[in-house]
Formats: sequence, C-alpha cells, structure tokens
Amino acid sequence: MRPSRTSYPLSWRLMDAVEAIAAAVWPRSFSAAVPWLMLMPAVVLVGLLVLGLWDMADGSFRKLDTATFLPSDDYSLANYDRAFTEKLFFTVASRSLIGSLIVTVITLVFAFPYSYVMVRTRSTFLRKFLLIALFLPFFIGQVVRAYGWLIILGSQGMVNEALGFVGVAPIRLLYNYPAVLFGLVQYMLPFAVLMLAPALTAIPEEMESAAGSLGANWVRTFIHVVLPLAKPGFIGAGLVVMTLSLTDFAIPAILGGGSQDFIANAIYDQFFRTSDQGMGATLALLLVAVGSIMVGVVFALFGAGTLAMGRSK
Amino acid sequence: MTGPSKPFLNLGRRRFLQGVGLAGAAGLVGMPFGRAFAAEPEKPKEIIVRAWGGSWVDSLKKGVSDPFTEATGIAVRHDLTEDNEIQPKVWAAVAQKRVPPIHINWDTTTNATKSALRGVTEDLSDLSNLANVTELAKPVGLDGYPIVNTYGYVYVLAYRPSAFPDGAPKSWKDLLDPKLKGRIALYNDGIGFHFPAQVAGGGKLEDIPDNMQAAWDFIAKIKEQEPLLGEDPDFTAWFQKGEIDAACTISTNAREAKANGVDIAWTVPEEGAKYDTDGLWIPKGLPENELYWAKQYINFAITKDAQQVWLDGLGLPGVVPGVNPPADLVGDSSYPTTEADFKKLIRISSKVQVEHESEWFGKFKEIMQG
Repeated sequence: MRPSRTSYPLSWRLMDAVEAIAAAVWPRSFSAAVPWLMLMPAVVLVGLLVLGLWDMADGSFRKLDTATFLPSDDYSLANYDRAFTEKLFFTVASRSLIGSLIVTVITLVFAFPYSYVMVRTRSTFLRKFLLIALFLPFFIGQVVRAYGWLIILGSQGMVNEALGFVGVAPIRLLYNYPAVLFGLVQYMLPFAVLMLAPALTAIPEEMESAAGSLGANWVRTFIHVVLPLAKPGFIGAGLVVMTLSLTDFAIPAILGGGSQDFIANAIYDQFFRTSDQGMGATLALLLVAVGSIMVGVVFALFGAGTLAMGRSK
Repeated sequence: MTGPSKPFLNLGRRRFLQGVGLAGAAGLVGMPFGRAFAAEPEKPKEIIVRAWGGSWVDSLKKGVSDPFTEATGIAVRHDLTEDNEIQPKVWAAVAQKRVPPIHINWDTTTNATKSALRGVTEDLSDLSNLANVTELAKPVGLDGYPIVNTYGYVYVLAYRPSAFPDGAPKSWKDLLDPKLKGRIALYNDGIGFHFPAQVAGGGKLEDIPDNMQAAWDFIAKIKEQEPLLGEDPDFTAWFQKGEIDAACTISTNAREAKANGVDIAWTVPEEGAKYDTDGLWIPKGLPENELYWAKQYINFAITKDAQQVWLDGLGLPGVVPGVNPPADLVGDSSYPTTEADFKKLIRISSKVQVEHESEWFGKFKEIMQG
C-alpha cells in the first residue's frame, strides 16, 4: 500500500535533504574526525597562546639597547641573569608565592562551610540567598571591589569611623601586605565555593547518616567522612585560587599602596614603565613556569581533583 | 550640551589664524574661513590626541583642541590611554607599518625621547611657529624636533598646612619627621624624587648618573617612613581622604586638589626640586593629509593664545614669551619665570634620564619593595 503523505511529513523530507547535503559535504567515512573538528576552536585559541609565548620567549633572550630603545639582534641570557640575581625580583616573587599559598589556605577554610551549608540546607530560601550572595560579586569587577575596600577601610572610612565612636584613633588598615591578602581572599572566595560545591554535592548524605548511626559524632564524621570525600573539591578549588592569586595584578596595585607588588605588577613595570619588553617577557615566562610547576606538583601528589572531570588522576 | 556662541567662534578662528601664522602670509584676514585652507590637504574627520585625564585634558581641550576644531572643522578626540601604555602600541604599529592608533601623543619628554631614539617620531622642524618659542621647546640631545616641548613643570613638595603648624617645610629632610610616618607619598617609580634625594642625602648633582649612592641612602631613610606610592590621581585622592600630609608631586596636581577644596600648599625645598618638560609628537605611519593636520595642531599649540589658555588651566610656564602666569601663581616657586627661579630647580637632560631610567626605577623599587 502506498504510504499517505501525512505518514511522511514535509518536515521529515526536509531533514532528509539536509542530511543528504551534509553527507555530500562531510561523508560518513569522515565521522571519526568530528571530535577533532569540534576541538578546532580550542586548538586555535591555544595555538595563538603558544605563538604569543614563542614570541615572548624570543624577546626574553634580547637585551634592551637604551641608546636606540630597540631589542638587541643577538641572543643572550642577560635578562634571565637579572631575574635571578636582582633583589627586587626575588622579593616580589617570594611575596607572590607566599601570598598565593596563604590566600589559598584561608580561602578554602572560609569556602568550605559556605559550600557545605549551601549544598546541605533544606531551606530553599537560604540556598537561594547563599547563591545570590555568591554570584553578586561576579557582577562587580575586581577593580571596583578593591576601590570599595578603600572606602570601607580608609583612614576616614566606615571602619575607622566606627572605631572613632568608641574612642579608638584612626588606624592604617590599608596599603600593607595583610590588606592585599584580605582583598585577594574576598575576591577568590566565590571561585572556591563554586569549585567545592559540586564535590560536596557528590557526597551522599547517607554516608554521613551511616557514620552517625555507627556512633561517630559530627566532628569524627566531618574529619573521617566529609573531608576525605571532599578532597577532589579542595584540590580543584585550591589550584584555581592559587594560580589566580599568584598572577593577580589589581588587588596588590590598589590595596598595596605601591609597596606590596606581586609578580604581575613587576611585569607591568617592565613592559610599560621602563619599556623593557625583553625583561617583561622574561618575568612573564618565569611566572608561567613557576605556576605550571606548582600545578604539576599538586597533580602529582594529590591528583587533579574536580579538574580531572571524574577520572582518578 | 550647547555649542559655543558665535562671538567665541569668531574669536577662535581669528586666534587660530593668527596662531598658525597663515593669516599674514596668505593675506587671509577677513577671508571666509572655508577658503582659508582651500589649498591644504584633505581634512580628516577627526584627529586623535592622547592626553592625561582630569584637569590636564580639560585644559588642553579648552586651550588647543576646541579652538582648533572651531578653526578647521576637524574634530579632536582625546584618547586617555596612559602614556606608558600607548607607547608599546605605537611602537608595534610603526614596526608593523600599520597606521598608528593616535595622531598626536602628549607625552613626558623622557618617554617621548625613547620613542625618538627608536625612530618612530616624525620630524617637526618645519613648524612655522617654532620661530617664536624659547629654547625650552627644543629637546636636548636629539637632532631636529622629533618632539616639541610645550611647557615645564616642577615636582614640588605638596603639604597639608595643618600638619606643619610651624610653617612650610624647608627641606626634603623634613619628611623624615616621625610624626609623618605613613603620612607621605611619592610616585611609585620615584620619578621626581631621585635628584632632590641626591642633594638631601649629601651628594652632588654633578655625580648623576655615575654615583647616586647619596640618593639611595636618603630614599632608604624615607622608606622607613612607610610612604604610599602612587600615580597622579592617587595624590589628590589621598590628600582628600586624609591619608597623607605631604607628597612629592607635580604642582598641577596640588593646584587641582586645592581647587577641589583640599587644604593644601606647596613649596620648593632648599635642596631644589626636579624641573622637567612635557611635549607633543607625531608617530610615523600616518597618511600624508592626516600628518599635515596633526602638525597644524601642534603648530597651533605653541602659539601664545593657545598656550595662555591651555597653561592657565595647568598652572605651568610655557615655551612662548609673553604668556602670563595665572593670578594665583604669580611669584610662585612652582611657576619659574626668572633666572633666580630656575636656580632653585634641578634639570637633568632627557638623554641621561632615558639611558638610566630603568636602572633608577629598579633601584627605587628595590628599596621600597624590600
């Protein structure tokens, strides 16, 4: 029996036509290449980054000639020699490294209870409130947030005014290392919570109930059940916070009062203040190298955490 | 926003014609303006001038850009990208033979000298109004006019009078007073402070650049005072918010803060204060017609009329004889006009500064970041 027109509608015929055209343009034998094709945009982006790094690597071996303000034609290790011997770069690098570690630890300590309550609460209102409070800072740029702290913590800011009401003289809360670390922790907290929350969601509540039914109090349950199972979240969040803190520019520049530079500030100075692009490239490449090594060590010791996307390593 | 009134328009045109020196030569007085440039290259719709923000760009707009637009019909767009940040963009454009992102760079002479040494600046020697300027307009140590210096400025010691009840500080050493700990500010690369620090530290200016140990020793003492380090806008903000009581800054910033109601005064201490210049230059790679009009802009900027309005706003002495100081700066040490005034100031050639700037900045940072 001939099929009626309604049993094979026009839309299906159109789809057949589209499929036929697609098969002509991209034969079925090419199907194995589809995943690679989908990867192409990312490969192009990473390729451009590598090209840029290659260009910077070339520049890092050229010394600035201050008679012509052009890079030298010949290659040398002069910039690397400066980077490893000048006290300024050592000071700034060690401040950045130590700072990023401190910020990571403090941020994870603050982020965990926030994530835990957000994931476990039975109150829809509280969960929504915590989510809004989490996402609100993303709508406010880093620079604006840092300026907000200038208003709150300045000599004539809200905190000092409040202290004044109880007879405390104004104190300098800004333009020092603790102020930079404080600003970084506040900036990094939402990132850490966002990385921790999926890991905590993946822990079945029954595991905690089971521990309780076997006699563990909440402290033992927390230490022996929740923390170990949340390890992937801690690793993922820690890596993100550490690398972002290590490379941050705005918070040290604004809250540091000019005397608490991180590596990114030193790189900016070389590129834009002294016009020494070779030295700037050298510091930038060393920062990439140090950051990569730190991430590599964490991967080797603890795995990639949530960044492993479900794989064991 | 309403446009300028007719009389102002006419004045602007007349000022411009007088300024560019065309009126007399071409007999253009009274000629309809449309014909004044009949033989000139095609006009671009706009030219882009990089400038500093705040009172700096306001003054340039009022004194130079607006009259230029009124006279030529060419709009002037001010690009407020930081001078340090526009530099690599211009250098890259010239190296890649692209049209540069700006027509004119309003720049420090030291920065501009770097660009001149790199060979990215157009020669401005053919500007007709260079015949009427003082020697300050000529960049030292460079051939021709790759830059035209347009005014000088002084890095003064700005202070809050209430913090100095015994009167103005007399010496840079007064910044070492323990009561000023955490209450002073310098530029974050130390610019403006290296040379007076050399004197305050017991050294000699003749030893610059070979031996500046006295400067570094004095800066190390200043470091113990925990100074804030920032840029031009920071100083005004810090004075306004009560964060600091004294700063080494350009007099224009102090004057702007005062105009904003901040209780502030300034002085040139006994060791002297750094005197430097800013200038205008044109990057290579512009189309011929745009280059021509960019040059006309600079030519106009060094007329007496333009300088009078522009530099009234900045409170700085220009490069054209006969420009009158603003009423509030007559006899002020930050507005040098006489030989005696200049004797109190420290001027080091741009070439020496350019060659050693990186080293000095690095040393200053090393002390301050330690």
